[in-house]
Amino acid sequence: MENIVETSILHIDRPFRLESGEMLPGLDIAYEAYGKLNEARDNAILIEHALSGNSHAAFYHKGETKPGWWDVMIGPGKAFDTDKYFVICSNVISGCNGTTGPSSVNPATGMPYALTFPPVTMRDMVEVQRLLLGHLGIERLKSIVGGSMGGMQTMQFFCDYPSIFDSFICIASTMRHSAQQIAFNEVGRRAIMADPRWNGGNYYNEVPPEGGLSVARMIGHITYISEKMMQEKFGRLRKGKDSKAVFRPSFEVEHYLDYQGISFVRRFDANSYLYITSAIDNFDLVSSISGTTRFRGDNRARGKGLDTLRKKKGLVISFTSDWLYPSQQAQDIVRFFSGLNVRVSYTEIETDHGHDAFLTDYVQVSVMVKSFLDSLS
Amino acid sequence: MLTIPEQTHNIIEGWIQPRSRVLDLGCGDGTLLNDLIEKKQVDGIGVEISQDMIVKCLGKGISVYQADIDRGLSQWDELSFDYVVLNATLQVIHRPVSVINEMLRVGRCAVISVSNFGYWENRVRILLKGCITNEMRLTGSWHDTPVIRFVCLSEFRSFLYDMGVEVLDARFFLPFDIAVMKTRTPLDNLLVKEAIFMLGRGK
Repeated sequence: MENIVETSILHIDRPFRLESGEMLPGLDIAYEAYGKLNEARDNAILIEHALSGNSHAAFYHKGETKPGWWDVMIGPGKAFDTDKYFVICSNVISGCNGTTGPSSVNPATGMPYALTFPPVTMRDMVEVQRLLLGHLGIERLKSIVGGSMGGMQTMQFFCDYPSIFDSFICIASTMRHSAQQIAFNEVGRRAIMADPRWNGGNYYNEVPPEGGLSVARMIGHITYISEKMMQEKFGRLRKGKDSKAVFRPSFEVEHYLDYQGISFVRRFDANSYLYITSAIDNFDLVSSISGTTRFRGDNRARGKGLDTLRKKKGLVISFTSDWLYPSQQAQDIVRFFSGLNVRVSYTEIETDHGHDAFLTDYVQVSVMVKSFLDSLS
Repeated sequence: MLTIPEQTHNIIEGWIQPRSRVLDLGCGDGTLLNDLIEKKQVDGIGVEISQDMIVKCLGKGISVYQADIDRGLSQWDELSFDYVVLNATLQVIHRPVSVINEMLRVGRCAVISVSNFGYWENRVRILLKGCITNEMRLTGSWHDTPVIRFVCLSEFRSFLYDMGVEVLDARFFLPFDIAVMKTRTPLDNLLVKEAIFMLGRGK
């Protein structure tokens, strides 16, 4: 019998204030949980998803043939062992998989928010998850972990609330986007906005801007895999040459990207893509925690309270062929957290799979994560 | 009787001040660091190139950083550590000059162990076999061993002198694995099996 899970929705009926100062009248948070919370309520691990991820990190939904996006890592006996740990994953704010975002209905108007949805930051994503932790009655976590954008949320959460985590694991991520990384995201956003169907973000009663969103996804996918892997997988192979029309995709790699684009538009909202990629580009860990203004509550770190990070543990993982988030950026993360006296370990996994290795090279990642988590208890 | 590696561990433990900051280059499975953390409460971090060893260190709860030490220690600022240890690792280093310079940049002291190629047993082996034997290489055959540096004690000492580093302390292992503090006879090269030095930045 496979492990079955259902996505839960937490309804928050109070107004939610974002970092920008704007308010949402209320909020839904989609989340899943695997394993059992122990009596001491201290065996929780929070999983943070990447740009296109969702709360369905592991196990199967009823009737599904494909498990959650990180099922290879989460489950009984796996790296995040659900026999030992209570593993939680929630969909980010501004996403489109159950948590409130631009495609959600604004109760004030009865219409989808679209671009009236307020801009979102990495800190907002973290604050939403804090509401969830409060609801679950969890005050202390064994670890927080994420790859890519998940790594950014991980670092933000770990620095904003240093007292609640024993450790963090950050995979294939960065403390801030470089110009090149912003540039790639901007091309993706422009592709969406250049699609006439995008219509200033108001397309929810019409055909969505599928063309633009799939181009955005195609660009993304080029950056997620390495040049070597692309060459080995596709080279100059062709398929479907018999088509009469000119400029029909004929190279294998074109078909691959086409497929990635099309399958993405079926499950993702174009406006969410704009909001989330902007949050990623605007993310800058160091400046976000060194500001002087305090925001919501006294528990917030903001540079202060960071000394509670002393002697906590971190694990940073990068991949040799990841050219989207190269190892140098991971080494900068290690340097930064070492400076805060966190006991950070770093490993660079040899692989040809590029950025996507954080999903595909789970065997090596699992070994590291398992050893690391075992030593915490 | 303790083996030389065990004695070396004890000597390093004796040298290192409690609660100091230690960087262990080529830390292997983290045995030495683990001892230093438990017995001397040091704030320690290891550097290792091998993924398998990294896993072992993580399992022990030791902080470890995967890197090739031949490519420098640019990850760390000047004087980030009280001690930088290079134990049983010198023989695999490609660029000893830059590594030792880097050790004394990021650390106040450098602890380095050296196996003396001129030891009488090695001379006998070469005389009898006509080649470097596997015992001398520690691991592998001539074509696949990571051990590429064969250095004599006298050479190493003059190398330290040329580099302008200061020898703060040293121990020498004589036949029967007896450790002594000082030897300065012409017979050093023949009688010392291994040596361990604590180096400072010179004047």
